[in-house]
Amino acid sequence: MQEYLLLMVGAILVNNVILARFLGLCSFMGVTTRVDTAMGMGLATTFVITVSSMLNWAAQAYLLEPFGLGYLRTVVFILVIAGAVQFTEMTVRKVSPPLFQMLGIYLPLITTNCAVLGVALLLIEGRMSFIESTVFAFASSLGYSLVMVIFAGLRERLALAEIPRLFAGPPIGFITAGLLALAFMGFSGISTV
Amino acid sequence: MPDKMHTLDLGSPDFVEGTARVVEITGTLAWLEPEQTTSCGHCAASAACGAKGLGTIANRIAARRFALTDHPGLRVGERVVVGIRSDALVKAALTAYAIPLCTLFLGGGLAQWVWGQDGTTIMGAVAGLFLGLGAARLGAARLFAGGTSAPRFLRRVGPADCQPALK
Repeated sequence: MQEYLLLMVGAILVNNVILARFLGLCSFMGVTTRVDTAMGMGLATTFVITVSSMLNWAAQAYLLEPFGLGYLRTVVFILVIAGAVQFTEMTVRKVSPPLFQMLGIYLPLITTNCAVLGVALLLIEGRMSFIESTVFAFASSLGYSLVMVIFAGLRERLALAEIPRLFAGPPIGFITAGLLALAFMGFSGISTV
Repeated sequence: MPDKMHTLDLGSPDFVEGTARVVEITGTLAWLEPEQTTSCGHCAASAACGAKGLGTIANRIAARRFALTDHPGLRVGERVVVGIRSDALVKAALTAYAIPLCTLFLGGGLAQWVWGQDGTTIMGAVAGLFLGLGAARLGAARLFAGGTSAPRFLRRVGPADCQPALK
């Protein structure tokens, strides 16, 4: 149990998918103008990363490795991720059309979110078991959501602040992102994972 | 010391806004299609970007068509700003994604604890996922039963709603 806890702390705070691995930066800058939308995007991405990582682990263990098709890993993973996103979209649409109207906006963005592919490749590189890889993927996406919400909160405050004209908009966003990354560096060393 | 204090107004109802175009009027219902296809701001690479997803943009927008009942005499072709309550957006996201994820982990964890093999853990997780999707369906029906989570008309699109593109 302690092993899983360390794995989670490592993936959420120490090796954060956005601030330490620099993955998913387009959604980090594009969907963080409001806390609510950042939370919606974070939850959708958490769901897709977890489900697609499970599928990718299964594809690696039962298809790519036994048949020596490791060179097709990236292509297969991209297909699996696109399939997982489409499955999620169809399911949400079927389960509740009003939910689809509200949340359908986030799903296409996830298809091109490199964090989803990055996490899948990282867990294969780490040679993790199924349960470990699922916990790692879930924790990584929690880290992604955490940073998205924190950054959206900061940007909401910045929108109300008096900022020099040259720094208004994306420049102050990038500066804030850099300061946030520096703050997260403080977690280095609390986990060895 | 700043000359004016900036504060967040937490008391008023907060809406996530979007623009939509009226495509059909049937009786008292106005049918609208959202104009925004992705929640990113678009960029120079939008022509080649996969963020629009699979299928044509027109298909995807048509799939997200919705109706408004409380509209002030809208006409076909008009552009309006519609909003959904921000708390409803968060509740909807929690219902759609958090419930299936919880049951997925419950199913997978239970199977791992009982059998301790990867194959059975996968099957347990998948069973949990589908169970969670069923629960999400019930939760969504409850969430939208009152009608407070539905999109509502805020205003017609004006000059203030057209922001210049970033350069």
